[in-house]
Amino acid sequence: MNLSRRAFLVFYRNLVSYKRFVLPTLVGSLVQPVFYLVTFGIGMGAYMGAFGGRGYLFFLVPGVLVSSVMMSSTFECLYGAFVKMIHEKLYDSLIATPVSAEDAVAGDILWGAFRGLISGGLMMIVAFFMGVFPVSFPAGLLLCVLMVLIGIMFGSLAMIVTSYAPNFDFFNYYTELVITPMLFFSGVFFPLDNFPAWMKTLAQFLPLTHAVEVSRAVYSGVYGKGLLLNLGFVLALTLLAARFGLGRMKKRLIK
Amino acid sequence: MRTIIRAEHLVKNYGEFAAVKDISFEIREGECFGFLGPNGAGKTTTVRMIHCVSPITSGTILVNGLPADVDNRKIKAATGVIPQEMTLDTDLTVFENMMVFSKFFDIPRREARKRTDELIAFVELEAKRDNKISELSTGMKRRLLVARALLNKPALIIADEPTTGLDPQARHLIWQRLRLLKNQGTTLILTTQYMEEAQQLCDRLVVMYEGKILKEGSPRQLIDDEIGREVVEIRIEAAEDARLIADLGPLARGHERAGDTLFFYCRDGRAIQKKLVEMDLPNTVYRPATLEDVFLKLTGRSLVE
Ligand SMILES: Nc1ncnc2c1ncn2[C@@H]1O[C@H](COP(=O)(O)OP(=O)(O)OP(=O)(O)O)[C@@H](O)[C@H]1O
Ligand SMILES: [Mg+2]
Repeated sequence: MNLSRRAFLVFYRNLVSYKRFVLPTLVGSLVQPVFYLVTFGIGMGAYMGAFGGRGYLFFLVPGVLVSSVMMSSTFECLYGAFVKMIHEKLYDSLIATPVSAEDAVAGDILWGAFRGLISGGLMMIVAFFMGVFPVSFPAGLLLCVLMVLIGIMFGSLAMIVTSYAPNFDFFNYYTELVITPMLFFSGVFFPLDNFPAWMKTLAQFLPLTHAVEVSRAVYSGVYGKGLLLNLGFVLALTLLAARFGLGRMKKRLIK
Repeated sequence: MRTIIRAEHLVKNYGEFAAVKDISFEIREGECFGFLGPNGAGKTTTVRMIHCVSPITSGTILVNGLPADVDNRKIKAATGVIPQEMTLDTDLTVFENMMVFSKFFDIPRREARKRTDELIAFVELEAKRDNKISELSTGMKRRLLVARALLNKPALIIADEPTTGLDPQARHLIWQRLRLLKNQGTTLILTTQYMEEAQQLCDRLVVMYEGKILKEGSPRQLIDDEIGREVVEIRIEAAEDARLIADLGPLARGHERAGDTLFFYCRDGRAIQKKLVEMDLPNTVYRPATLEDVFLKLTGRSLVE
């Protein structure tokens, strides 16, 4: 592993290029989650009654928030990284400077996490307008840190996929067979309690489940006893995925 | 002169395929060293190993005494690379490309601005400073690649086919800039398929073919050794070869048939020229020998894939 602070320079490069795309990407990353909030939150909320004394929206928002972090960081590290690698040959020019392959890829994972933070942050603001707030201001800040961590986790997982991808279509396997199902099996929209046992077991293996649990705890200030396990899962997977993703991408970039 | 690059028994395999097959060479400080070879000869593969972006299968390269290796940031920090492929940052403008790239070399912002302005002027791109890369012509992109390679004030510049696909003006501009840099003491590594380019710029060069080095020397010396001074080309049917070779062969150093043409290589062509006038053959050309003759003689005059 040849990782250095130069990863942040690559992040900076993305920031410079981003200013031209801010608006379309903001709209893009907002529409779907807002759509979930409105249809599920307001539409279904009417039938759901109260969850632990609070409205359904308080259940839904932390989950949708984390999902939008997942979506943004995943897409950035799938499509964004692939375009840079194959079409724009950007990595080739980066690694000819003192930036190492690991720096370049790590910079892009951080970038994916940042994009996740923006999507999640926007969602949080949208939720404010619907009257849903984190329990306290520090909790809100903690949530932002959490979003970055979760963004790094999903960004790294996506980088692993990218390192194997022969073309764009390959990403469909990941998004359709992993990401989309995960959205529905991780307790984002409904509590897992009412699911059959096998689904509950399955959910324990999905990173999103744990991310949602942690997010919900921070949002509500109710820290259950499984929380450390959830956080441990997220941290461990993040480290593992980042390490493996960097290694795999290095192999792909340096021939 | 000090040797700044020493490559010994360099081998590069891509899986089963051997792209570079046990080559050794030395490059001296301040010279322009050329790799001349047809498509697929292994030129890019070789220079990529020198500037540490491609792992070496076996053998060693020392650059300023440091072993070239993909994790060696020191060599990369002191090298300027003009890549064969257009690796400009297409999302950014000309100016932003330069500024962002200087960050990677830890050049302070103020200094980066100064160098960027100077270098944009150096390659005559002032008018395109705020244009996006997609709005540049191929020649302008190449010039920007040259400017970008100079940001870190490199002591070693690697130019991988820097003028392929350019019009004569753009090509001459790049040659002039490269010569200027060489005169300032920069060591230059040039890969090219253009004989004229090699002859114009290189102090010494190697002819590469199928991953091997066929010959090494200065352009003049290679021409002298392999061809002589002059070449006679006779476009004539192969059936006539025996007769012509019997007549002209003794006056030449060597001959070769390629396609519809018979070539004679000679040190002093006057005798052969006189004879040709006597023989009164149509379709003959009499001209000075060039590096192209060397190249074609070494790599074969027929098309290779
Ligand atoms: N990443 C790679 N994977 C597999 N084979 C490769 C790779 N890069 C180059 N090669 C092969 O190695 C050989 C040498 O390629 P290289 O690019 O070094 O040639 P070159 O002399 O630079 O040619 P050109 O003048 O066309 O640029 C070629 O046969 C090429 O197909
Ligand atoms: Mg090449």
